[in-house]
This record gives sequence, structure tokens and C-alpha cells, in this order.
Amino acid sequence: MTSGVVRLPRFDATGGPSPHAAALRERVREAAAAGTRLRVVGRGRWLDAGRPVRADSTLAADASGVVEYTPGDLTLTALAGTPLEAIREVTRAERQWLPFDPFGAPDGTLGATVVTASAGPLAHAFGTPRDNVLGLEFVTGAGAVVRGGGRVVKNVAGFDLVRLLVGSWGTLGVVTEVTVRLRALPEADVTLALPLPADDAAARSLVARVVEAHRTTLAPVALELIGAPLVRRLGGMPADRHLLLARLAGNAELVASQRAALAAMSDVAELPPEVWRAIAVAEPAGAATVRLSHRPARRFDSWRHALATAARLPGAWVHASVGRGIARCVVPPGIEPAAIADAFAPGSFAVAGEPGTLLFERLPAQLWPTLSPSAMPDGPTGRLMRKVKDAYDPHHLLNPGIMGE
Amino acid sequence: MATRAELSILLADVVGKRRVLERPSELVVYSADGLPGYRRVPMLAVFPETGEELVDVVRTLAAVDASFVPRGAGTGLSGGALADDVVLLGLNRLTRVLSVDAENEVAVVEPGVVNVHLTRAAARHGLHYAPDPSSQAACTIGGNVAENAGGPHCLKYGVTLNHVVAVTAVLPDGELVTLGSAAGETEGYDLLGAFVGSEGCFGVAVEVTVKLSRNPPAVRTLLADFTSLAAAAEATSAIVASGVLPAALEMMDGPTIQAVEASIYAAGYPVDAAAVLLCEVDGLEAGLDADVRTVERICRDHGARTVRVAADDAERARLWQGRKKAFGAMGRVSPHLVVQDAVVPRTRLVDVLETIRQIAERHRVKVCNVFHAGDGNLHPNIGYDANDPDETARVHLAMGEIMRACVAAGGSITGEHGVGVDKLDYMELIFSEDSLAAMCRLREVFDPRRRANPGKVVPTRSCREWMATPAARPPSRSPGGTPTAGPAGVTS
Repeated sequence: MTSGVVRLPRFDATGGPSPHAAALRERVREAAAAGTRLRVVGRGRWLDAGRPVRADSTLAADASGVVEYTPGDLTLTALAGTPLEAIREVTRAERQWLPFDPFGAPDGTLGATVVTASAGPLAHAFGTPRDNVLGLEFVTGAGAVVRGGGRVVKNVAGFDLVRLLVGSWGTLGVVTEVTVRLRALPEADVTLALPLPADDAAARSLVARVVEAHRTTLAPVALELIGAPLVRRLGGMPADRHLLLARLAGNAELVASQRAALAAMSDVAELPPEVWRAIAVAEPAGAATVRLSHRPARRFDSWRHALATAARLPGAWVHASVGRGIARCVVPPGIEPAAIADAFAPGSFAVAGEPGTLLFERLPAQLWPTLSPSAMPDGPTGRLMRKVKDAYDPHHLLNPGIMGE
Repeated sequence: MATRAELSILLADVVGKRRVLERPSELVVYSADGLPGYRRVPMLAVFPETGEELVDVVRTLAAVDASFVPRGAGTGLSGGALADDVVLLGLNRLTRVLSVDAENEVAVVEPGVVNVHLTRAAARHGLHYAPDPSSQAACTIGGNVAENAGGPHCLKYGVTLNHVVAVTAVLPDGELVTLGSAAGETEGYDLLGAFVGSEGCFGVAVEVTVKLSRNPPAVRTLLADFTSLAAAAEATSAIVASGVLPAALEMMDGPTIQAVEASIYAAGYPVDAAAVLLCEVDGLEAGLDADVRTVERICRDHGARTVRVAADDAERARLWQGRKKAFGAMGRVSPHLVVQDAVVPRTRLVDVLETIRQIAERHRVKVCNVFHAGDGNLHPNIGYDANDPDETARVHLAMGEIMRACVAAGGSITGEHGVGVDKLDYMELIFSEDSLAAMCRLREVFDPRRRANPGKVVPTRSCREWMATPAARPPSRSPGGTPTAGPAGVTS
């Protein structure tokens, strides 16, 4: 077994918690008794994300290991602290993969990826953790061990606690185990770069043609615009300008045909597959990261808007998922917080009259209260969310403050 | 609690007298859904025609603390739309497709829009709505959202959850909330994900924004026939493991084939086959034939007698019609049919199908298997006569054993039909007390009085502990629709 991954015995869903969950449950119960607020972490790769947490102690859900993996089922169950890298190695041996490619270090854990609902370029084709987590186990703030979902690919038994926990930032429960859907590794996997024309209208037209070709000749698994500053930072790229990266995967014929379709639209250059890893790890510790999203039809305006914003912040860069309509701005450390606050002020991202959504992943601590005090909206929907929090973490022990709850 | 007469007057004020039904002869139409053997007569039935009326109806019910059961087309197979002496809230008149936004590939619809009507509305843009339950010609989007409905093509394209972008819902207390967003990402808890599949217990969808999918440029539909069920199941597992991801991979066994071929839905399936696999691959034209060859080779390696590729759209439609109308065709065989629903890991198909065969033999019941093999989503159906108490009891026992066998194989008690009342007693097979209690807590966030679809999804006993906690909660009332029927849903 590679990467220290240990296969553990499986436990029946109704047969009580795993020893690992039982141990964490004791920690949570002790904390509840003592009123100790807990900072919930996996391997600590996400500590700079989210709003500042007011905690007295750290609870590490970092136990690692594959609990169950039957390749023929294309599902895998692992402890939450298992690094994505370890899952990659275990599944690659069976010519399978878990298409999660969140931005950040490769030793980030499955649990952290799921509770932060982090997704990368592959979400274009495979969706986000929301679409790929089949089941999970967690310890609530009330000290109960709960399982939602199951280990099969289709399941509507009971209310959906899985979706509730995905993206909950550890505030509803400490996730201890996760079951995910896997895919077969494609026979061919090729990444092509298309330089965007310098002329704005020509660039818009190229992106539009690539999107339109999804009806007939293109089905990339990732389609990401990479702004010139990031292109420069990555180095060794075919052109010193914005690039459109298309990742083509499938059988050889499918990939060859798509390559030809792209080549008919633009100059193309093949990049090594490692480029995706390089993009994921490009952002330095302490960077501020902000996502801007609009309706897909506004994707190009949104991208341009994000580029213009980044241009006002020295060293900042932008990349964008074309299919999902999400542009992501990365602002390296060293920029005045006031400049960041100014660049991402509420309402500053309206495109064609549509406000769009600004979603902050990481910010200098002092900016949260002004830019994004809470993840929970005002009004009835936010009230429901607060009730969910009260139901699962009645003493507000888990990651207090991270969602501005 | 208001009396029927009082409620009737209050609701007639909202929707008019003609759209409130209270005579037993009218209500009998709404006393059953797709789950056979159950009759539950609603106290009355109310049919709003606009979103505003719907919200007003729910607010009226909230004001008098009346429980209610939302109902779409009543095609559900787990008894989720049964209303036991409570108000039945009929949504089948809210049938407007409010907008189709081809550029952003979304549509906004009212809950009573029929699944296939939505696809029809999107067709001129080269788009369709992907989830395609067999009942798609009748079932509604609101019902699909409530049940997180699936269908054959969910193997590749995902279930309802993966295609709903936003829902505007009226909570049981009358408050209007928007969950999710079509205009960008949302932050906070995924309450939309929690709402989809909540079986009408969390509120009523007033407007649903769904993703539309582009029609695949190329499609190939294959029919492979086998002389043993095990061989077809093994071929299924091998196709799944091969890396080809079919759009759909369906299996029908001999008895199903014979029922279909004897019906008006005859699709040209070989009547002497023990099983057929209906496999569809789609996507770009390029490389598709390589996938077809892979599937064909695997089928032949596993003993398929013939593998036929539909030559044209007409043949393809005919092959699919046999599959989609298989349940209807079984009506020829027996007066009643339990359409069961369970899921097993794909590698366990062979042994679970054999176990099901043994269970059927032991209890002398007729099982027909027609199901989403690629997902491991079994539909072992039993035809029977609900007026025969002895046969009914045997069906009941067999269904219980089949469920337990699926759970023992690492599976789930329902893949797409929901728990409703039918599967209540099986919930404890797969969820611990704490997990069921956690589900009760989620329900109470949306509906603290548990007035929406009372008595469904989570066994009432699982919630007792929470009800007993000395929280600032109003005194509990008896939830209107406590299920009285047995676990297999075959008591009559």
C-alpha cells in the first residue's frame, strides 16, 4: 500500500460508529461539557481560508486510510484525513481516479475538500464535491455520530444529510469518513492551449465558438481561461498572453477529433498534464482569493471584469472556468488591505445590470467584516441556515465564526 | 385543528369553491398513488392554479395548524402522496413553463409541469431536461424534485439533484424562501440539496429552476440478449468496470420481456432470452463507435447470443418504448404490481439477483426484474392479486427478504422511488438511531410542527427523543398520517 494508506475494516452503517469516530465523539463531548470551542482541521492546509475562527482548542480529524475500495463498483470510502494524493495513487493502480482537483497543495485531505466544497477545473465535466459524494459519517456538535447517504451510486433513502454537510466548513459536524464516486481513467488525456487574440472582440468570438462547439465537436473535461499574469508566473508557456486551456480526455479517437476541432479555430499548443498541478499550487500562502460568478452567458464580460480588477492589484491574477461562469482572482500577499477592499467592494461586479456573486475564499482577517461578514444571507433563507446550525451544533462549538454564523 | 367544513370555507376563499373537493366520491380519485394496496382518503383536496394561490393556500393551512400532503401527478411508487384524513394539496394545475433561457441553458417552471413537457418546451433550442423517469409522460417536476427522481439516463447524467439550480419554496409556516441561485454561486449551507428529495416534508416548490442539457450529437443504442440472467449481470459489471460510461444501461429479465412482447408495446425483444441489456452510449460522434465495439465485445465475451445496434431513430425509440412501458405491460400478467426499488454495489448484481430468485421461489411469487443495471438500481417487481390474502402475505414476506438481501450486500433500500410510507420500516436497516434523529432535526428546521407530509420518510418513533426534549416547542400533536400498512406496501 502506498502513501501510508491503510485499509481498515468496514463498519456496518447501523452497527455504531467506527473507533475513529467514537474517539472524536469523546473529544466533542468533552468539549461540550467544558464549553471548549473547537477549531476543526484535517491536515491544516485550509487554515487560511474562511472567516477567522474563535476557538480555544484544535480538533484534528486527520486519521488517514482507505476503508473500502472495490474497483468494480467505482466507489471508494476513506477516512476524512486521507490526502487526495493518496487516493490518487490507490485508484491509479486500478486505472481509476477521483476527479477532484481543488486549488492548493496536493496533500490536502478528502475531508477538507468535501467540507469546503472546493472544486477545480475538472468540475467543468465532473461537477463539484456536491455531485460526487455518496455518503459520509460525521460527529455533530451535540456529540452524536451520524451517517448520511451510503456506499452506492444512487440513493434517496432519508433526508439528504450528505448535501447538508458538503460545504458546511466543519460547522455542523466533524466529518470522519467519506464515500465518493470514482471514474475510469481516460485512455488519452491531452491539454491544449489556445492563445486568446489580443483584440477583445476576436477573443470573445473564439471563446463563444469553443462553447458553441460543445454541441457538436467538443466535450472537454476542463476549459479554463488563464490570465496573462498567471501564464507568466507558470513559465514555459507558448505565448505571453491570456490562454484558453482545454483538457481533452476519453478514447484516442475522441481526443484526436477534438484536437482537430480546436486546431481549426485557433493556434494550439500541447501542454504537459502537469500544468494543472502547477496552476493549483501557484497561489502563495497568505494570498487573498475571490470568486466572481455570473450566469454562464455573461462568462466573457465577467472574465474581463475580473481581469480589470486584478490589473489594479499588483501581482494579482485571474483564471476562470468558462463552462461554470466563475472567475477566480488571486491576490498575492503584500497588497494593502484597503486596496483589496476597494477592488472587491460590494456591488462592484455588476455586469450588464446583473450583480453577480462575489464569494471570498481567503481574505486578510480585518477585511471579512466589511466585505463578507457572513456566509448566510439575510432574510428567511439565512434564518433557516442558522436554525440548521443550532440543530446540529447547539453549543456553537465547531469552527465558530468561520461562516459568520 | 379546524374541521373539514371550516377548512373548506377558508380554502374556497383562496381558490374558489370549485377547486376544493370534499365529497367522498371526488376524493376517492386521490386516495391512492403509484403504490398498490394502500387507500388513504384525504380530508379534502385543494387545487391552486397560480403560485400566489399556492402560497395563500399554505398560509391558510398554517394559520389553522392543518397538516397537508403535496401531490404532483400521483405517480410516486412509495406512497409519498397518500393523505390520511389530512388536506391533499394538488399541484397538477400549476403547469406553466415560465421561461426557457436557451443561452444560459436553464428553465423556470411551476411544480405541476409534466417532465416530458419541459423537454418538449426546450426541444427547439436543441436542449432537453435530462432526468427521465419511466413515468415521464405523466410525472411532474415538483414530484421529481420531492423524490429526487432518477431514470435510465441518470447513469451518465445524474439524478434530479444534479439538474436543479434553484427552488422558490413556500415553507409549511407560509414563509417564502429561495434556495440556490441561477445567477451565480451561493454561500452557506446547501439547503437546496437538502430540499431536493425531501419528499414534500420540507415545504412546497412554487418555482423550480432547472438546468437544461444539450442534446448529444450522436447516440447508439444496443440490445444484447443472454441465455442467463447471471451472464447479463456479469456483462453489466464488466461494462461499468471497462471505463465506458453508457448514458443508460438497463436490464430486463425473461418474464419482463415476455410481458412486453405480449403487449401493445412489443419492442422486438427475443422472447426466449433469459435477459436483455439495453445499452445506450452517446456524446460526440468521434470515438463513439469505439465505445460501441467495447460494449459489444464485453457482451459477447459474457455469452450474448446477439448484439444488435438500432439502425435508426425509429428502431431506437421502439427499443426504449418496451423498456419504459414495461410496468404497464405487466398489467397484463397480474391485477396488481409492486414496483420495488433498491440499490446494490454493481459488483454484487450477480449474487443479489440469484438471491432474489431463490426468495421468489421459496415464497412462490412471480418476480420480474426490469432495472437500471448500470447504477445497480434494482426494480424487482412482483405481480400479484391484492384480493388474495395468502398471495399478498407471501409477496409481503418476499419483499422484506429482498430488501434485507440488498442491504446485506452493502446497498440501499431505495435508489429513486423514495421512502414514503412503503420503506419506513426499512429505514432502521440502514440508519442508526442517531442518524434517523439527525434527519428528524433537519425536518424540524423546515417544519417544526411536522405538518407537511406527516408520517413519511423517517419513522415517527425515531423522532420521539427530540419531541421529548424540553425545548421551547409547542405541545406535540398526532401526525395525521401514521402509516399502518406493512413494510412491503402490500396490505390492502
